[in-house]
Amino acid sequence: MINKIESLWESFQKEVTPLDKQADVLNLKAKYIGKKGLISEVMKGLRDASVEEKKLIGPKSNEVKKNIETSIQDKLKDIQISEMNEKLKKEKIDFSLRDSNLDLGLNSGGIHPVHQIQRSIEDIFLSMGFEVLDGPHIETEHYNFEALNIPETHPARDMQDTFWFKDKAHLLRTHTSTIQIRGMEERKAPFAFVGPGKVFRCERIDATHESCFHQLEGMMVGENINTGHLIYFMKTLLKEIFQKDMEVRLRPGYFPFVEPGFELDIRWKKPDPKDEEARHSGWLELLPCGMVHPNVLKAGGVDPDKYTGFAFGLGLDRLVMVNYKMDDIRYLHKGDLRFNSQFSHF
Amino acid sequence: MLISLNWIKDFVDLPESENIHDLANKFTMTTAEVEEVKKVNAHLDIIKVVEITEIEKHPEADKLNLVTFNIGGSTARVVCGAPNVKAGLKVPYAAIGTVLPGGFKLEPKKIRGVLSEGMLCSETELGLGDGSSGLMELNSDATIGQSLKQYLNTSSDTLIDVDNKSLTHRPDLWGYYGLAREFSAIYKTPLKDNFNSQWAAGIESKFNDQAIPTKIKVDGNSSCLGFWGISLDNIKVQKSPQWMIDRLEAVGLRAINNIVDISNYVMMELGMPMHIYDRDQIKGDIQVGLAKDGNKFTTLDEVERTLVGTDTLISDDEKGLVLAGVMGGASSGVNEETKNIFIEVANWKAEEVRKTSTRLGLRTDSSTRFEKSLDLNLCYRSLLRAIDLVFEVCPDAKILGKPVYDGQKISETRNEIKTSVTYINKILGLKLSTEEIKEIFTSLDFEVSGDEQLLIKVPTYRATKDIQGQHDLAEEIGRVVGYDTIPIESPKLAVTPVRLTPYKEIERKVQDFMSLHAKSLEVLSYPLVGEKLLLKSSWPDLNEDLQLVNAISVEQDRMRPSLIPSFLEMTAVNAKNFSDFSFFEWGRSYLPKTDSFFVENNIVGLLNYSKSENKFVDTLNTTEKFLNFLGLNYKIQTHSKRPNPLVNEDWKGLHPDEFVDIVVRGKTLGAAFSVHPIVLRDFKIKGKVSILMLDLTDFCKKQTTKAHKYSPISKFPSSQFDCTVLVPVGSAADECLSVSKKLKNKDLLSLKIVQVFALNEEFNAVTLRFSFGNLSQTLEASVIKDYENQAVKELESIGFKLKT
Repeated sequence: MINKIESLWESFQKEVTPLDKQADVLNLKAKYIGKKGLISEVMKGLRDASVEEKKLIGPKSNEVKKNIETSIQDKLKDIQISEMNEKLKKEKIDFSLRDSNLDLGLNSGGIHPVHQIQRSIEDIFLSMGFEVLDGPHIETEHYNFEALNIPETHPARDMQDTFWFKDKAHLLRTHTSTIQIRGMEERKAPFAFVGPGKVFRCERIDATHESCFHQLEGMMVGENINTGHLIYFMKTLLKEIFQKDMEVRLRPGYFPFVEPGFELDIRWKKPDPKDEEARHSGWLELLPCGMVHPNVLKAGGVDPDKYTGFAFGLGLDRLVMVNYKMDDIRYLHKGDLRFNSQFSHF
Repeated sequence: MLISLNWIKDFVDLPESENIHDLANKFTMTTAEVEEVKKVNAHLDIIKVVEITEIEKHPEADKLNLVTFNIGGSTARVVCGAPNVKAGLKVPYAAIGTVLPGGFKLEPKKIRGVLSEGMLCSETELGLGDGSSGLMELNSDATIGQSLKQYLNTSSDTLIDVDNKSLTHRPDLWGYYGLAREFSAIYKTPLKDNFNSQWAAGIESKFNDQAIPTKIKVDGNSSCLGFWGISLDNIKVQKSPQWMIDRLEAVGLRAINNIVDISNYVMMELGMPMHIYDRDQIKGDIQVGLAKDGNKFTTLDEVERTLVGTDTLISDDEKGLVLAGVMGGASSGVNEETKNIFIEVANWKAEEVRKTSTRLGLRTDSSTRFEKSLDLNLCYRSLLRAIDLVFEVCPDAKILGKPVYDGQKISETRNEIKTSVTYINKILGLKLSTEEIKEIFTSLDFEVSGDEQLLIKVPTYRATKDIQGQHDLAEEIGRVVGYDTIPIESPKLAVTPVRLTPYKEIERKVQDFMSLHAKSLEVLSYPLVGEKLLLKSSWPDLNEDLQLVNAISVEQDRMRPSLIPSFLEMTAVNAKNFSDFSFFEWGRSYLPKTDSFFVENNIVGLLNYSKSENKFVDTLNTTEKFLNFLGLNYKIQTHSKRPNPLVNEDWKGLHPDEFVDIVVRGKTLGAAFSVHPIVLRDFKIKGKVSILMLDLTDFCKKQTTKAHKYSPISKFPSSQFDCTVLVPVGSAADECLSVSKKLKNKDLLSLKIVQVFALNEEFNAVTLRFSFGNLSQTLEASVIKDYENQAVKELESIGFKLKT
């Protein structure tokens, strides 16, 4: 009997395979596992079987019935799918017609490269506990010069060509250092902040000079801030920007608002050790920095006997130029989207 | 500034073994930036005096000779084309391997088939002048085999070129004696004591009781701090000795005559400019005083200058002689005929010299130095040094009397600054011992006393400006110790949360939304614009109150009153390259304000351009989504009579219809509009442009947050009801949506437009979909029916009939 049941399973499988109509499948189901189906017929002989056989036949017939049922359901789904696929074929779309293949004009969005680099530097400092500030572009002499220890008679005023307004009292800020004073005024030491923004210089515009560009100022004031801390933050910043340890050197630099003042250079090229003349070359002057001058702390309302601090300034446009090996600074403000779209998100 | 190391070596012994590039680097790291290292006359050491012995014609070339000569013990032969070549002539010879001025290196070379063993040289080739093209003919008694350096009795030198900007704060480094002091501190070798009291006494011993012919009088209101003068007779003006010419020319000064050269020499050496007069041109005594407004004075460069009342002029009884601290006059200078001189060594107020020289656009070696605030004590030493040199070049010169002085009382008292070892170490992050700190101060000529608490006496030549407080002293220690010795470490600070300011937060939201959602590219336009652009844009406000006085061009001579004109200009550029584009800027507009001169508004501007499509609706969709993103409640209103602060209604660039006000919290903060084709035509823009301008200044001060609110979701089904009404052509389809207010039905969940269909010339058919529902029950059919009837009735009451 077991053999009979097994052979029924085999013959079912042979019969079900070629079927492609729902009705035929249902008929086949009735033929095998219907009340008067073939399996039932065979099972009528059960009473003649021995006790041992009965123990095996029961489960076997159930197993075959279940297999047939599953097979029927699969077959029915397959038939539905192939019928549906016929319909779907008629709804076929051309998915090669994607935006990237179509003339949609300029279909991209993005942030200006100066602001991209600005934001990444803001984030580096934010992660180290610095706030991010800005201030007005139109400034007074007080914030741009006097409070920064640059009195009217100071030759340093020659070093910066300032745009003046008709009232002779207002000017366009020549550096983001104005943010130092405004930042100090609004805070109580200890504090730390950076201040990115636009600055203006009365310079003829050419491939490497702009009358309007971007700086990022930084300042940290506390009870025991020293030059070693300044170097630490600068090295950390550069490591984050360039994604590797950068060799830096600090040398004396003169800026009225810091004392001691430094120029920070980064090792840009390894010099050829055999080239005697070039053994000290390969440094790139990157950022002026220093310990905040006591007069500047005072101007910002900070007690210079109690607190010390460092400050630095970074040229963002220059960093963009170096990073992308740009040859002409004027593209930054031109608004020619053939340039801007090179830095798009997508 | 060019620094001659030979000159420096007069005052300090530099270590012989030190490589010049290492020396320059040490100077950069300790004092000021060296831009270049130059060697002067290094080749003259290698070039030798030779005597021509034999001349043969070159077998292959008529104009060339094969010249054999005696180098002293041996002979060599070169191919030579010089016309003045002759046997017995002594000439300079450069062997193979010599590098001539201009970097030309002699290589073994065949000329027309004959090997030339180097070159016989002309003056031009040796960089000794631009004489004829012939060989340099040397004296017949010249020693064969001697170097040309020995023959010329000249010296080779090394120059380091220092960036002037890095010396701005160091008046003491504008002379070689001061620079030598730096080298002595760098190399820990003593500064030579050339100008000691013994030296001074030697010169002072020549002072006498003769009558002083030229007296001086200084007006205390002038810029004069102090004025020394001395008269000398029996001067012989002639060429300076070669050593002096060599030194001056090496550092880029032109040698003129022995007396003029002395004034330059002392200026380079001690950093103190001076003026030497032809005393016979001085009528009466010398007066130092303020010029009169409108005074004319012709300077040495033969330019007539108009003076103002704050300029200081040195005059005699009749005329102006010298524009104080800046430049001498055309009439009083020393010339070949001069027999008697008057030497002036004076000091001037830095800011006054700077004002005069800036106003006249006249920057001289003299004004550059006085601007740095020189030390009054330096005058007398410089005067003695000038007299010293006069006697060296004119041994027969006679001093008349002794030096005269007028001006402020000269004080040699040193300023005292208190500091401490702790402070210096604290600023620098170092752990230096008292001894180390004291040693450095001493090497820089500061006097130090104390142990932990230090009392520093600052040399007068450092006290004029540079060294004012203990922070300045810390720099002296740091730079000499070397900043590279400072340990790098993180400060130990309390950890506190930091967050973006509202300004930054909104800046980032603008950039993210516009670039990612609106698919727009960020641009930066110049905050400065010109009248031409504003006129071209028909912009009604020329922003003349915010005009610059010293603009670099008329295109950028005032602050922009709006981003719009620049946007139009950028559109014109890009419309040539793209059929569609969108850009935005997060920038400021600058407007005059009565009480505070100006106001800066933080504006986001978005521009959509398409050659063929109207993007106005897209612009409005972006606007609405953006305001939602910022969490601001807003209204978009067809422009009413209320003025819009972002666009003046007189502006011709506004589209007659496509223009809405954006009202946030009752305040008009924005405008969205299409640009009128007439204005686009002025920019030659073909296509359609729509713009959003939104002033976010208010939200840069106070955080805006999008508040999300939860309400439970109804468990009961809602019911929808569509109906189609007639809306007159020309009216906005959304006008019929106002029925929702009329209905006052709390079960009305939403009302939206499903579609709009142009029915005929008079009406559009607008299909509306009402959605009704209730949180606590399923609405019964009869209730819904009532709601539907009410809706239709109210629609009719506000003028929208059902389409039948």
